[in-house]
Order: sequence, then C-alpha cells, then structure tokens
Amino acid sequence: MFYLGKICRDKWIRLVLAVVFLLGISLTHTESFAYPGFLLSTADKSVGFGREQEREQEPEHEEIPVATEKERDIFDYLDTRAPGPLLVQILTAIIIYSILSMVALLVVILLHRNKLENIEKTSRDMEQKYQELLMDYLFDEERQTGTIERIKKVAADALKRQILMKQMKDLMTNLSGDAAEKLRELYYLLGLDSDSLQKAHDKKWHIKVKGFRELAMMRDTRANEEITKCLHSSNNILRIEAQLALVMLGEEDRYTFLDYLQRPFTPWEQLNVHQAIVSQDLKVPDFERWLDSPNSSVVIFSLEMITIFNQRYSWKKVARKLDSEDEKIRQSAINTLGELKIKKALPVLKHHYKTETYDNSLAIVKAIRKMPDESVLNFLKLVIDKEDDIQLQIEAAKAIHEMDGRGERELQKIMESEYKNYKIIIKHVLDRRI
Amino acid sequence: MEFLADIIKWFFDNFLLVLTILIFSAYVMLASFSAFTLRKYLRKNSYVDYNSIILSPFAPSISLIAPAYNESVSIVENIRALLSLYYNNFEVIVVNDGSTDNTLERCIEAYDLVKVNYYFDYRIACNRIRGVYKSRNRSFYNLTFIDKVNGGKADALNAGLNVSRNRLVVSIDADSIMEPDALQKMVKPFLEETDKKVIGTGGVVRIINSCDIKGGKIRRIHLPENFLARVQVLEYSRAFLMGRIAWARLDGLLLISGALGMFDKETVIKCGGYSTKTVGEDMELVVRMRRYMVEKGKKYIVTYIPDPLCWTEVPSTISVLGRQRNRWTRGTAETLFTHRKIFLNPKYKKFGMFGYTYWFFFEWLTPIFEFFGISFFLLYIIFGSPNWPFFILLFVFVYTFAVSLTIWAVLFEEMTYHKYEKKRDVLKLIGTAFLEPLFFHPLTLIWAVRGNWNFLTGQKSWGKMVRKGFGRKKK
Repeated sequence: MFYLGKICRDKWIRLVLAVVFLLGISLTHTESFAYPGFLLSTADKSVGFGREQEREQEPEHEEIPVATEKERDIFDYLDTRAPGPLLVQILTAIIIYSILSMVALLVVILLHRNKLENIEKTSRDMEQKYQELLMDYLFDEERQTGTIERIKKVAADALKRQILMKQMKDLMTNLSGDAAEKLRELYYLLGLDSDSLQKAHDKKWHIKVKGFRELAMMRDTRANEEITKCLHSSNNILRIEAQLALVMLGEEDRYTFLDYLQRPFTPWEQLNVHQAIVSQDLKVPDFERWLDSPNSSVVIFSLEMITIFNQRYSWKKVARKLDSEDEKIRQSAINTLGELKIKKALPVLKHHYKTETYDNSLAIVKAIRKMPDESVLNFLKLVIDKEDDIQLQIEAAKAIHEMDGRGERELQKIMESEYKNYKIIIKHVLDRRI
Repeated sequence: MEFLADIIKWFFDNFLLVLTILIFSAYVMLASFSAFTLRKYLRKNSYVDYNSIILSPFAPSISLIAPAYNESVSIVENIRALLSLYYNNFEVIVVNDGSTDNTLERCIEAYDLVKVNYYFDYRIACNRIRGVYKSRNRSFYNLTFIDKVNGGKADALNAGLNVSRNRLVVSIDADSIMEPDALQKMVKPFLEETDKKVIGTGGVVRIINSCDIKGGKIRRIHLPENFLARVQVLEYSRAFLMGRIAWARLDGLLLISGALGMFDKETVIKCGGYSTKTVGEDMELVVRMRRYMVEKGKKYIVTYIPDPLCWTEVPSTISVLGRQRNRWTRGTAETLFTHRKIFLNPKYKKFGMFGYTYWFFFEWLTPIFEFFGISFFLLYIIFGSPNWPFFILLFVFVYTFAVSLTIWAVLFEEMTYHKYEKKRDVLKLIGTAFLEPLFFHPLTLIWAVRGNWNFLTGQKSWGKMVRKGFGRKKK
C-alpha cells in the first residue's frame, strides 16, 4: 500500500487506498469475520485468543475425522486439518488483501485513465487557446490590453497557469529582441514570476527545478542565491539544473562553478552546458582557464570546448596536457590538437607515440590523419611496418592516404612491396565506399 | 525407508510452502523497489530534453548490430526503421548469418549494396565472413552489411563486434522495431557515468503482435488479439517493470534482453564477446562482463531504463512458444552452471549474494520444485487423502496473490507509459490476468521442466522460430 501511495500523487487515489487498507484491517480483525473458527483455529492449542473456553468444549482431533466432515462447515474442517492456525490466518489475510487490492487497483487504474484523458483534453484545448492569445499579444498592438485581460481570465487555476508557462517557455526559446522582451513583460504582468520564485524556494527538488528553469528562461536573477546553494547538491538533477540556470543567468561569473566543482563533471552535464551556450547564444569564455583545474573531468570538458569553439590560440597549453598523468586527459589533448589541425604539434605527438598506451597511440595516429603533412610520412610508414595491430596499421595508411596525390602513390608502392603483404589493408583504405 | 518418506513429506509439507512465501515476499520487495525507482526515474527524466543528445558533439558513437537469419519477410523494412533512428553518430551493422532464404539478395537490391574491400581483425572468434557490403547510395552511408557462414546469433553478434568501429554497441534482433528515440535514451546512462563504468544498459521490450505497422514504424498500438501473446504482455510487464528495474537498482541485474541492449564495446571484447556455447548468450554476456569487472577490481554498473524502447513479435502458437521457453530455461541453466563460482560468493557482492541466488532458486529451481510439488499432490490424490480445504485455501492464496501482483504490473504500466490507448484494452489485460495462472502457467511449467531435461541431456539447438513479419497488421 505504501509504495502505491508513493507513485500516486493524487489525493483521491490515496484516499481509495486508505479506505481499502482500513477495510482490510477491519475485516481481518472483526469478530464476525473471524467467528467461523477459520482465524481462531483450535488446531494449535498454544495459540490463545481468549477463547479457551470454547476450545475446551471441542473434541481432541488426534485423528483425521472422516465421517463427520460433511456436516461441518469448511472452517471447522480446516481447524482440524490445517498445519497451524497462524498460517491459516496469514493466508486468509493475504487472500483478503489480494482481493481488495485487485478491486482497488482496478478503480485506481480507471480513475487514473479518466484523469489522464481529462488533462490531455484540457492541455490540448488550452495550448491552442494560449498560442492564439500569445500571438495576438506579441504581434497585434491594438488588441494588446484586451488580450492581457483575456489571458488572465483563462489562466485561472494552477493547471492552466502551468500550461501557459510551458507555452511561454517554448515560445521564449524561439524569440529574441523586442518580442522576447515583450513576452518577459507579460510574464511579470501576469504575476507568473512569483509562481516561479515560490517554486525555486520550494523544499521539493522537482518543484525547485521547475522554478529554476522558468527563472532562467525569463532571465530573472532574484533567486540566484538559492540556485547557487544547489550547486553542490548531492541530487544530480538539481545540481545540473542549478549549473544550467547559473550559466544562463550569470554575467561574468556564469562559469565560476567550474572553479569549485569537486564532483566529476559528467558528460551529461557537459552536454547540457554546451547546449545552453549554443542555444542561448551565450558568451563563450576562454576555456584554457580551466586546463589546470584539479578536477580532471573539468579539464577534459575544457579541452572538448576548445575544440568545439575552435580556440586554436590555446594550443600550447593544450599540448602541455600531453604530459598529464591522467590517460584520459592526454587522450583528450591529442584529439583536440588533431581537431584543431595544429601542425606545429606534430613533432610532440610523434614523440609521445612510443610512450603512450594503445588507445592513446591510436588517437595520435588518428590526430595526425586530420592534419596531413609529409613530414610524418616516414613515421606513418614505420607504424604500418612495425606495428602488429591492424587498427593502427589501417589508421596510419589512412593518414598517408590523406596526403593527396603523394599519399596514394606511397600506398601503391607499399602495396607492391614484396617485403610484407599489406594488400588487404591498403585495399581497405583505398576503397572509397567504406 | 520410513525416514526417507518422512523427509519427502516434510519437503512437500513445509519446504514448498516456505519457498512460496519467500518467492512472494521477493516479488513484493522487487515491486516496491521498482515503484520507487520508476517514480524517481519519471520525475528525473521529465526535465530531460533528449533532443539535445542527437546532434551534440558529446554524444558517443554507436554501432547497432542486428543479426538476421532467414528474415527476408521483414528485413528491408526493419533496416529502414533502424536507419531512421533519431541519433547522429551511429552505424547499422546487419549480419546475415548464413540465411537460406533470399535475405541477402533482398538487401542488396533494396539498398544498392556492393561488396567492399573491408578489412578487420578477428578480435573475437567467429565463423568466416564471406563479405562486407556497403551501399552505393550515400544516403545509406551508415549501413554496413555482413554476409557470413551460419554460426548462430552469438556468432553473428561477434562478427558485428569485429567490424564495429564505435565505442558503444547495441545488440538488436533484426525482427524487432526500436522506438525512434531509443538510442538517445539508452545512451544517457553512459553519459552520466562517474567513477563507475557503465558497462551495459537495457530497456523495456514491448510486444508488437496486432499493432499496425507501416514502413518499419508502429502507427498504432493494439493489445494482441491472440490469448498467448496477450498473456506475454503481462509477463513482459511484470518482468521489465517490476523485476529488472528493481534488480538494476539493487545492483543484481543478470540479464539484458537479447532483443535490445547497449554495451561498452571494449569491455565486451575484453570479456571475449558473446558465448557461442550457450543458447542464452544475452544473459551469459552480462554475467561474464560483471564477473570480469569484479575480478579486475574495476568499479562498474549495469543500468536499466523503464522506457519502452523496443517492440518485438512474440510467439502466438503453443509449439513455437514452447520451443522459446525451453531455450530460455536452457540458457538460464547453462549460464548459472558456467558461472557457479559466483553463487553466494561475497567477492561478487550483491550480484553474487542476491542477484545470482535469486535466479538460482526462483528462476531456475522453482519450476522444478513446483513440478514435483504438483506431481506429489497428484499422487497424494490417488493414493492418500489430501487435505482438500487446506489445498483450496492455498490455491486461492496463490491464485489471488498472483493475479493481484499482475494487476500491480498493469498499474505500473498505466502510471508510466500507458501505451494502450483504449480503456477496453486495459480491461482486457486485467481479464487475461485472471486466466493466466489457470491456463498459461501450467504450460510454462512443463516447458521449464522440459528445458531442464534438455539441459541435462545436452541439447543445444535453438528451435525454429516462425515469424509473420511486420509488413501487415497481424491478427
């Protein structure tokens, strides 16, 4: 019952369950139900229910009765044959609960279905209505004042305000300039800001998150203090939402959370921050600032962002990360140098090839492939020749192939070489359909 | 002799009852955990914009491996459905496992495939690959077709692993249909990885029988018309929404369905890939991966997501269903036997102490005990005088409990994704719940016993699976 209560947020569902629960208790404890002797079994004399007198009058059942059993009701019969009264009581109680829960569940399922259908219908109707009203408000100057009143009237209850807020949030992501400013004005005019602030200060995390999102979308900084508090929350959703809200609401300090981040900055969090920067067209900081962070996940994120935002000027600092003790940081640095096509880093990459792990060696060859240069031709030939790993050989051959005409000629030469049979590898690389 | 008879009597009088109570308690506990996990998951993911994953540079690359054996009826449409999944960085590798029908020819024609000079390393042993095909049409740039000598599903998946170039691999039955956003949802646990490596993720598999399908996509969801298929809807809801979700939460998950699972490729390869020695390669792989991680002292997790991600056709005739269940039983027994070292071994923590133990007693041995219990009772009817009222009481107890548990599963389905739109379908499902213990459960028992017998006698075959294909509405 408890866990059903947990998944049912609605009071009426809880009420049905509570009634069933109480009914169950009362049925298994009332005298009338227990009377048939089923729950007050006499088979085990050690179990006392204050009915010793009644029991004493009953015959001893040393042997299994045969002749009289038809005359007795099922419960009396059970008393004489069942393994023990407690077990019978437990089984009976479970049966009653199972039957009651079946009925209750059926009611809950049907009520829930009806409720969902109603919500869906209301949402559909309201969404359409709000869309029209919001369009009128934003783009029809003459009808603006009347529209505000109409929206106020329609958004009377919590569900409808919620639908309106959702519409405004969706609209806001696609608006900029005056239209966005006008929508923000409407947000304050309708008093939706106080709803959002209230949500942001709520004790329940999932309501807080809603508040953060709304405030961030409307660029309202009044709850920033509360949001900052949640940056170190153990609840990862709340933490991510706080980070995102601050990225959107902060000014110069919007990325300072990266300075203090102690937990691993997961790729999911990284993805969301990147998404916020791109979708909200936020100012991109110099990510080299976090390349020396003690948090390795922040360093990896910074390297990724340097790549994405093509911050080539940071390459020297990136190259220094090739000496990091963390294998993943080194791999990210290799990838970044490759993606940024920093040819000046080729000697350093070559230098690290021998001492690197297999994965990172492969990453080096792949990085070299992205910035084809004849200065590494011999190195790549050596990789093909000396390495036993097919993946490394294929990548090295691909890197040679990237060197336009010269590369293809070199590959043909290698293919014709009788020293070793590289035909299959080269054919694979030269096959443009792959 | 009398002593032996006493033991047997004690066993059937007490042990089975204790076992029943333990199983039912375990079910209640698992259902509670599931409810808690589902609620948390739904709340947590109501804020997620999965579309942000599609084009993100942070989204990892994925290879979908779909083994196909004599799937000519539906292969073309199913490949199209796989290619149109909402994800950017992925490839589809279809492995034709020596089909004897025209699966290869149909694909060559439909996708303009041509044999290429594809070279790869046999990092995992598999039967000879006759050729790798790519499309001349650039729209299908992310489709790779492998034609190989028949070696079974596990062998085909291993061939796909050898050809895969991406970090994550998804194993999917070529005859299943994935939800368009399945990859986005499955990849999320890997993106949320912290100090524990995510080695695998599974999702809820749903039943497609009687649904309207066009162009490899589900247009309208219906409850199966066929009784056997409908019962399996209930079974799947219980197994996925009540069982696996809870086991993932308890860190004791042993099985990610072969119909759909996403894995860290390097871990799979380091473990030696899919085992060709068992017919339950999906379960065996998860157990072996977990063992590998524990034995190497690496922190890891196996996750499960309650979203319906994949739709599959289930058997709708007794003979085909019997063969499938027989295979599942053998797969379970083979895996448990192969990895018996884990049994109650504290080194393997919750996975060894609870996950394996649960499967050992409740999934593998229980049908055997139940079978013997029923047999003993029948003998008792013939040669003795059974305690009928107590039998009736026990029967009603088991029946009502089983039905109510199933209706809980229907509620979970309703509270989460309520895929069946019509109220009538839900009522039909509940009606089926009342019939299931009487007509379906005895069959599963017989199949399980047969499966165990075949396991003991060393039978290895997969059994023939007949499919109708998704090209039309199935009745």
